[in-house]
Amino acid sequence: MLNAFKKLRPQLFPTLFLFLVFFFLYLPIIILLVFSFNTREFPAPWEGFSLKWYYELFHTPEIWVAFFNSCIVGIASTFICLTLAVFMIYFLASGGKIGKFIPIFYGNLIIPETVLAVGLLSYFSLMHIPLGLLTIIVAHTLVGLGFTIPILYIRYRELDPKIFEASQTLGASHKQTFTKISLPLMTPALIATGLVTFILSFDDFILAYFTSGSSLTLSLYLLSSIRYGISPIINALASILLIITCTLVFLFFSLKTKTRIL
Amino acid sequence: MLAKRKRSITGEIKLSEANLNIDKLSNPTLTKKKKTSLWKIFKSEALFTIGSTPIIWQIIFFYIPLLILVATSLVKTSTSGQFIGLTLEHFYPLLNTTYLTIIFNSFGLSLVTTFLCLIIGFPLAYFIAFNGGRLKNVLLFLLLIPFWTNFILHIYAWFFVLEKHGFLNNLLLDLGLISSPLHFLNSTFSVLVMMVYFYLPFMVLPIFSSLERFNPLLLEASYDLGANHRQTLQKILLPLTLSAIRAGIFLVYIPSFGEFVIPELMGGDRNFFVGNVISLFILGEKTGPVGIAFTVLSTLCLLISLFFINRFFQYLSKKITGEA
Repeated sequence: MLNAFKKLRPQLFPTLFLFLVFFFLYLPIIILLVFSFNTREFPAPWEGFSLKWYYELFHTPEIWVAFFNSCIVGIASTFICLTLAVFMIYFLASGGKIGKFIPIFYGNLIIPETVLAVGLLSYFSLMHIPLGLLTIIVAHTLVGLGFTIPILYIRYRELDPKIFEASQTLGASHKQTFTKISLPLMTPALIATGLVTFILSFDDFILAYFTSGSSLTLSLYLLSSIRYGISPIINALASILLIITCTLVFLFFSLKTKTRIL
Repeated sequence: MLAKRKRSITGEIKLSEANLNIDKLSNPTLTKKKKTSLWKIFKSEALFTIGSTPIIWQIIFFYIPLLILVATSLVKTSTSGQFIGLTLEHFYPLLNTTYLTIIFNSFGLSLVTTFLCLIIGFPLAYFIAFNGGRLKNVLLFLLLIPFWTNFILHIYAWFFVLEKHGFLNNLLLDLGLISSPLHFLNSTFSVLVMMVYFYLPFMVLPIFSSLERFNPLLLEASYDLGANHRQTLQKILLPLTLSAIRAGIFLVYIPSFGEFVIPELMGGDRNFFVGNVISLFILGEKTGPVGIAFTVLSTLCLLISLFFINRFFQYLSKKITGEA
C-alpha cells in the first residue's frame, strides 16, 4: 500500500495541478451551460429543466443578425488573408525572395489592438470611408496577416528545396510547380491558419468596437446585453457557440497531425 | 589514374562549352529572344506585384494609420483644419499625475498578469507535455476550447461565479467559511482572475509547443548525471525554452497593457487603465488630438518597456549560456 503510494507520488502533484487549472478554466463554462437549462432566471437557484431559453433564442432576430454579421466579417477577412498568403507563396514558388520584408508583419503583434483600432478609426475618418462591416473586415485582416504571413513563410522555407528542384528539372514551369507542388504541400498549413484567422475575427471585440460604426457583430451585441444584466438567452447562445468552437478546434486538431502552426 | 580522370573531365567540360558556343553562334532565334524579353520584364513585374500585395496591404492599413496617429498628435491646425505647424501642445495636458498614474496602473496590471500567467502557465505547459501521457492531446484540446470561445462570454460566465448569489459565495457559505456573501465583483481581485483566465493560453501555447519538441531524454540524462531538480531546470530546461517564454510573455504583456473591457466590466469604476482612457477619449468626448496624443504617449511607454524586457532576455540568455 505504502509502496503504491510512493510510486504514485511523483505523478500526484502534476495531476492535482492539472486538475485545479482545468477546474478553474471550466468552472464558469459549466455553470453557464447548466443555467441555460434552468426554468427560472439566474439569481434564483436551480428549479427544473427546460428548453425555454433555447426557444426564445431562436425567436430573437437581433442575435442572429449579429451572428451572421460576425460570420460575414470572419469569412471575408479570412478569405482576404489567405488570398494574400497564396500570393506570397506564388511569389516564393517562382523564386522570389521576401525574407527581408517578413519583420514588417511583426508590428501587428507588437502594437496593442486598442492602438491599432484608434489608428484605423482616424485613418478611415480622414479618408471619409464610412464605418461598417467593410472597415471591420479590413481591421481583422491585419490581425490575421500578423501571424499568417510569418508562419506560412516559415513553413514554406521548411519544405525540402529538392522537391522544387526536382519539379523544375523534370521540366515543370513555375506555374506548374506552384499548382502541383507548392500549393498542395501548403494546403494543411493554409487551412489551419485560415481557421485561426476566422476564430480570432469571430471572437474579436476591440477592433470591432472602434471600427464598426452602427453595425453590430456578435461580440458587440454580447457586450451591450451584458450591460443590461444577465439573461438566460445569452447562456443558450453560449452553449451553441461552444458547440461551434468545439467543432472548429476538432477540425484544427485533425489538421495539426499534418502541420504544426502552434 | 586520378590525373587521367581529371583531365578527361576537364576535357569533357571544354567540349560541352565549345558545343554551347557553337549553339549560340548558330542560333537563328537569338534576335527573336530579344523581343520576348520585354514580355519577360512585364511578367517579372507582374510577379513582383503579386508578391508584394501582402506588404502593400500591410503598409496601407497598418503603417499609414499609425503614422497618421503620430502625425495628428504632433500637428497644429487652425479651427478650419488648416495646417499651421508642428507642436507638442497636445501633450501638455497629459503631463500631470492623473494620466501618468493611469499609464503606471496599466504597467502594473500587465506586469502582474504576465507574472501570474507565467507561474501558472509554465508548470501547466510542462505537465501537459511530460505528464500528460495519452491524455496530452485531450488536455490541449480542452485548453483551446475556452481560448477560442467568445471573449465577452468569458466575462459573462465569470459573473455567475463571482456574483453575490453566485457559485463561489454559495460554496463558501455552505462550507461555513463565511457567514455573509462577499463582494468579489468590482474589485482588483475579479479583474486579475479574469485577466489570468483570458490570457493564460497565450502563455501556455508557445511554451508547450517548445517543450513538445524538447527531447525528454535530455532531462533523464541530466538526472542520471547527478543533477537535482533545480540544476536541471536551470541548466537544461530554461535555456532551451527561453525564447518560447519570451514569446509567451510578449503575447500576454502587450494586449493586457491595452485591455479595457475586463477592467471596465469587472473592476467597476475604481481603477482606470490606458485602454479605458483611450476608449473614453476617442469614442466619448470629442477631444480629438489630445486623446490621440495620449494613445501615442502610452504606446511609446509600452514600446520602451518592451525594449527593456527584450534587453533583459538577451542578458539572461547570455548569462545562462555563458555559465553552461
